[in-house]
Amino acid sequence: MDTPAFNDADELSGKLRLALEQAEAEARLREAETPDRLNEDWRFGRPHIYAKALVSALESDTDNAGRITIQAPAACVEPMADDMRDGEMRLRSIGSDKILALHLKRFGKGICLCIDTVLADPIIITYETEGVFTPSTIILAAEGAAARIIERHIVRGSGLLVATRDIKAMAGADISLELEVSGESTSGSDQPRAMNITNIAAMDAQVRQLTRYSGLDWAREETVAEILHENTTIELFSANRLHGTQILDQHTRQIHSWGKSTSNLLYKNVVDGSATATFAGNIYVAPGAHETDAYQANRNMLLSEDATINSLPGLEILADKVRCSHGSASAPMDEEQLFYLLSRGIPRHDAQMLVADGFLADAVTQFRGSESDGNNTKI
Amino acid sequence: MSLIIKDLYARVKDGAEILKGVNLNIPKGEVHAIMGPNGSGKSTLSKVLCGHPDYEVTGGSAEMDGQDLFSLSVDERSRAGLFLAFQYPVEVPGVSNANFMRAALQARLPKEEELDAVAFYKNLRARMKQLGMDPKFTARAVNEGFSGGEKKRNDVLQMMMLDPTYAILDETDSGLDVDALRIVSEGVNAMRAPYRSFLVITHYKRLLDYIRPDVVHVLYNGRIVKTAGYDLVDYIEEHGFDFVKEEHP
Repeated sequence: MDTPAFNDADELSGKLRLALEQAEAEARLREAETPDRLNEDWRFGRPHIYAKALVSALESDTDNAGRITIQAPAACVEPMADDMRDGEMRLRSIGSDKILALHLKRFGKGICLCIDTVLADPIIITYETEGVFTPSTIILAAEGAAARIIERHIVRGSGLLVATRDIKAMAGADISLELEVSGESTSGSDQPRAMNITNIAAMDAQVRQLTRYSGLDWAREETVAEILHENTTIELFSANRLHGTQILDQHTRQIHSWGKSTSNLLYKNVVDGSATATFAGNIYVAPGAHETDAYQANRNMLLSEDATINSLPGLEILADKVRCSHGSASAPMDEEQLFYLLSRGIPRHDAQMLVADGFLADAVTQFRGSESDGNNTKI
Repeated sequence: MSLIIKDLYARVKDGAEILKGVNLNIPKGEVHAIMGPNGSGKSTLSKVLCGHPDYEVTGGSAEMDGQDLFSLSVDERSRAGLFLAFQYPVEVPGVSNANFMRAALQARLPKEEELDAVAFYKNLRARMKQLGMDPKFTARAVNEGFSGGEKKRNDVLQMMMLDPTYAILDETDSGLDVDALRIVSEGVNAMRAPYRSFLVITHYKRLLDYIRPDVVHVLYNGRIVKTAGYDLVDYIEEHGFDFVKEEHP
């Protein structure tokens, strides 16, 4: 066996530490269990159906063959390299380490963006899924970089998408990500499904994310956003309309490891038919992260007696001098608003759609508003 | 051609009866005013005619140009030509005024016909100018964050755009300052036409000084108890409603 040639003790120590960390991360993932009912993060996620089927599909299907197209300056796009697996190993799921482990085994497809300047035009990435597709998106924003990124996923037929996303924003960076995931069914038996695991790490930077899911039989989102330095702002938005028997299962973590920073979350859903929307969020303020501002709101509109909302906002505050709030509200459509539109001759279905769209517009306009308020990124 | 209300009884759903035999005949081209003390049923009448779900018709009929109003859904009544300017116009967050108006006008066209967007915006801006409204209001959510007066103007704007044949103005004057009252009234007066009627509900003479009614009714305890000409407005202004209470204890 060759002995590695290290230049000095520090480097040796650094490489050993890295190797140990990698080994630990791999072991954590390898040992993870398929999510079940005892997994609190899958409490309302019907793991016996969806997690089981997802793990089974990832284990049996080895053909990772989705299509990727990108519209971005060539200088920003790096080829996916093997050493980027390290980053994926360190991704944090919210109760889905087993799925991350299986994703890691299939690592290699995706896009890596290294942004070191201010981009005027948006970067548009499109992922198309027909079978089982597990792409990774890596976004590294250097100091002072600014970009607006639109990541679109189209899941066709009974395709299964399991996508990861790793966003790192350095001092002065300003990153805006709009994630659209849509299912395209060609027959009534199609069941397009999608799962997204996103990690955001921001240091003295601004990061905004808007997620939108449509046309999917089942979708799960796990977003872990961590503030690693003061003067950081992370904003998370989501706006979705569900119908039929669709399921949307969203989990978020706003982790304030440093003080003097802000995070804001607004997730809104309109739920019709016998669809189910689940939101479980947590704001964590670490010891010493004083002068933190952190907000979290989940708002839902129910259009049907059979629709289901599970909303579990949460706070864990271990610092003083913080301003944190969390809230949840779920209610049927406001009858007075509906009557107002009807009284102007707008047919009931159209009126309901207008009111529902108006309800969701709040999250989108807040995202766009803060986007245009950003340092350099303009729509 | 008239709006004819016969022996109308209505109540709040699962609640007390409020209208107790209202009779009204509003021919095309006329402006009728309804006055009356608080709680007499004026706003209830307007909401019942428009089909508000909180109210239930328990007797009587309402015909609009021979068409049974109560056989129509709320939106059908509007498309048939009925309009209600609300006492408290509702805020609809996230729905822009322009989209709202476009949807309302699109609903009046045959299915295959698309609203002419250029003509629509031209008309909308002209009406807004007439009412002294800032053009920025087209992009703002319906009534959201509007002052009381702005909401009322917005309702009158909608009335102008939808061009109804029967318009009910439910206390449109409340919340309006003197200048706004004049502008709104001028807008209403500009819409007076032989093919259109107004039913103006108000507590105050000042609105009726601008929008001079042909006929004045007093609604009390759920019934029309007095009908006369404009002189009745002056009498009420001077004496209040005590005479009605005495005549109908």
